[in-house]
Amino acid sequence: MGRVPAWRRYLRFRGPDPDADVTDEIQFHLEMRARRNEAAGMDPDEAWRAAVERFGDLDTIGGELRDHDRRRERARQRREYMSDFAQDLRYGLRALRRTPAFALVAILTLALGIGATTAIFSVVNAVILRPLPYPDADGLVMVWMDNRRMGMREDIHSWPNYEDLRSQNVVFDRMAFYGFAGFNVTGGCPEESCEPRRIAGAFSSADLFPVLGVAPLLGRTFTDDDATEGNDAVVVLSHRMWASQLGSDPAAVGRTLRLNGRERTVIGVMPPAFAFPAAETDAWIPFVVSPQLREARSSFGFWVIGRLRPGVSLDRAQADMSTIMRRLEEEYPSNRDYGINLVSLPRQVVGPSLRAALWVMLGAVAAVLLIACANVANLMLSRAASREREVGVRLALGAGRARLVRQLLTESVLLAVFGGVVGVALAWAGLRILLGVAPADIPRLDQVAIDPLVLGVTAAITIVTGIAFGLVPALRASRPDLTSALREGGRSDTAGLRGNRLRRLLAAGQVALVVVLLVGAGLLIRSFLELQRVHLGFQPDNLLTMRIALPVARYQQQPQRVAFFESLVERAAAIPGVQGAGAISTIFLTQTPNSTNFTIEGRPRTRDIDNVEVPLDAVTPGYFTTMGIPLRAGRFFTAADDGEAPRVVIINETMARRFWPNEDPIGKRFRYGGEEGNAPWMEIVGVVGDMRRTGYEAPVRYETFQPHAQRPLTALSFVVRTAGNPLTLVQAIHGEVRALDSEQPVYEVASMDQLLAGMVAQRRFTMVLLGAFAGLALVLGVVGVYGVTSYLVAQRTKEVGLRLALGAEPGALVGMVVRQGMLVAAIGIGLGLAGALALTRLMASLLYEVSPTDVATLAAVTVVLAAVTLLANWVPARRAARVDPLVALRAE
Amino acid sequence: MRQDSGDLLQGTLALLILKALLAGPKHGFGVAQWIEDTTADVLRIEEGSLYPALRRVEDRAWVTSEWGLSENNRRAKYYTLTTKGRSHLRSQAAVWLRYAGAVTRVLRAAPALG
Repeated sequence: MGRVPAWRRYLRFRGPDPDADVTDEIQFHLEMRARRNEAAGMDPDEAWRAAVERFGDLDTIGGELRDHDRRRERARQRREYMSDFAQDLRYGLRALRRTPAFALVAILTLALGIGATTAIFSVVNAVILRPLPYPDADGLVMVWMDNRRMGMREDIHSWPNYEDLRSQNVVFDRMAFYGFAGFNVTGGCPEESCEPRRIAGAFSSADLFPVLGVAPLLGRTFTDDDATEGNDAVVVLSHRMWASQLGSDPAAVGRTLRLNGRERTVIGVMPPAFAFPAAETDAWIPFVVSPQLREARSSFGFWVIGRLRPGVSLDRAQADMSTIMRRLEEEYPSNRDYGINLVSLPRQVVGPSLRAALWVMLGAVAAVLLIACANVANLMLSRAASREREVGVRLALGAGRARLVRQLLTESVLLAVFGGVVGVALAWAGLRILLGVAPADIPRLDQVAIDPLVLGVTAAITIVTGIAFGLVPALRASRPDLTSALREGGRSDTAGLRGNRLRRLLAAGQVALVVVLLVGAGLLIRSFLELQRVHLGFQPDNLLTMRIALPVARYQQQPQRVAFFESLVERAAAIPGVQGAGAISTIFLTQTPNSTNFTIEGRPRTRDIDNVEVPLDAVTPGYFTTMGIPLRAGRFFTAADDGEAPRVVIINETMARRFWPNEDPIGKRFRYGGEEGNAPWMEIVGVVGDMRRTGYEAPVRYETFQPHAQRPLTALSFVVRTAGNPLTLVQAIHGEVRALDSEQPVYEVASMDQLLAGMVAQRRFTMVLLGAFAGLALVLGVVGVYGVTSYLVAQRTKEVGLRLALGAEPGALVGMVVRQGMLVAAIGIGLGLAGALALTRLMASLLYEVSPTDVATLAAVTVVLAAVTLLANWVPARRAARVDPLVALRAE
Repeated sequence: MRQDSGDLLQGTLALLILKALLAGPKHGFGVAQWIEDTTADVLRIEEGSLYPALRRVEDRAWVTSEWGLSENNRRAKYYTLTTKGRSHLRSQAAVWLRYAGAVTRVLRAAPALG
């Protein structure tokens, strides 16, 4: 046996080939056997055949051998790869330790970018991506009434309409109705002397829980029997309620609680995560449909939810339900202009504007990450330039370029991983802060966490980031000019120039991204400011509001209710520091549970009046003055407008202008209800200024007000104007309430400023967040631009020194450098403005009274960025021009 | 060797291969030839099981392989016994011989075979 000569080795140049080797080995064996056979006397053909026959099943054996060898080869390659990788990691770590300043800066920059992205992604994940906690949540659909008369796409139903929809449709598996209720709760708590509490609750049909698909933790939910008169004194509790009120008693089923004065037996407890229809819902009661309600097609008070049949699409369901509604429109004139609007529950919970806001955030942090990557890429380019010698040596010693690039990439991924780890820590801390200041009405915010999915996505982003900023520097570094690199202190000019163009490109890109982010933030800021300037129609400062709901069971007589609130207003007004008190049925309208059409005395029925609905409100005298709403004509209510006196009503300006355009509405009469109605005629005694009843952004509505004495509702919003901070008088007011009725709780206590802030909370939150990211991007971008200019200037130190020595004016040199730098910035700003014009239309739904291409914002951002980049270019330029020419000439 | 297969057979074949390589590296054909010559053709290696067996002993690190040139300048794969293989051979050979010796004694004991 002899060694394989070198030239034969080249036959295996491309690496071991297991298949060919097996063939060779078997071939050799057969040939040896054949020769033996020939030597024993067979002729060549016979010898070969005998050899093959003796060997056995060539195909099977050959296959077996090939499989074995292939597996072994693969294992070997894996091992080699692993050891190469381990070597790369060790090498990378050592290289980073040698340049700690670079490593620190790079890691911190990356941490900021990756951390921000991780934080926002975890919010997006919890709020938008994660499915709702109901089985098959995509099949759950909110069934709204499309109220074309009032332009409301999400209105609620009457019971007869609901029942018709339920029985006539073919697309829903089940449907259920529900509504919101508030309960004064007493009893049941561990100590006997517990405070009466106010909880939010709901009433529902028996099908609600089966529709949602969630089983109770203890006991059971409703059956149809529970919804009959006399059997409905039952209640299902939330987990939270069970824990706080009943002390998590495992034998809670069967105990009783007093809700709104009525004894109810607890029949079930829901599991912890269950909260429908609102996050605050703590108790569910069955609803008994009275015979009158069965006929009341125009009495709207029911929310409806359904579960689609498997395989039925939302579009098909929408078509089917619309058909049914059209039939009902024809059958019952009172249903005219009422349609159906189906919204899937996931889309309902997280509405389009919140989704838009979150996706905008994600885009913003992605931009921040890109800017951070560009900074680190620049840093790596500089570093690569200073390692040219080391790389040159390795190349000269025969290292493969691919291997070198792989090693450099490993280094940058390692850097990214460190940045990612720090980033996750930053994200965790940042989320704690974020969730602390986030508005309460962003759903599912309590579920935001850095869970395995988020970590997985972060890991992927980290690795992609590492490759992104490391690839080009690695490719460049592995291709240096060998001769000049190996020379002492070599730095080739040609390589430098190529790198320069890349740097300038990166800087321009960074500037562009910063522009886009700043424009976005600026638009949101302008929207918010515009919103603040909306005239509300009343004086919001120093107003305390709360709701008081008298239980019908204990206030069955109307005079009782009137007396309670009258006394309360009197007593409250007597408290020192109180400048006025009053009450209204609701301050802000969120739905229209109480709205109706109306008929004007002496006017013929016209279609446009017929289709208009107005809210009915009840106010105590003194409400308007307390709120600071001006009187435009006529008078306010007085104590004389009581239950025995003729019916009176006050309307707002917009309604007066619309329906009594050229005449004085004072003295005119109208009544609620259509032509067939028999509500009493009311005389208009006053016209007040408009109040924005549905928040900043909705248009002004018509408003009608009756005196509380003539419309004694049990639940009112109580308002108090205070001299100082309204929240300091909460205890005093509460004391007066308790003095009148010791079992009466107050709830939803807030100052008007708090309520208004709550209305714009989401907007403010989005604005602040986007502003913060834009600010972060600006800082990173400025650092980037500064870094690039510094580097470029440092490269030309010799040239600058020469020019200075030859008598050039430092000022002119500074000007030259700054001009070149500003050219890059200008390109960046231009690209950024173009990008902003294209992209801001995506956030149009978040803007208020501001165009996505608002010129003022674009101009402001341009100016800011021009100034900032000017500074970032000027500082290094000036430093370079101040250098001693001799030092500059001697420097490398 | 043309009888039933099984672990015993595989182990025995491995043993024979290791012994064959004790004298020095051989290619696969050489191993087969040596066994046939040494047993004076009593044992004829089923060539189909030889090469898989060679792979098996190589997997157990008793044997290494490398490509070389044969006596007539052909490319052939040569197998070499390792230290580990040598000690395995020694211990297993002792076991085998003891076993064979015991069987032989039984068969030779009275009553005698016909």
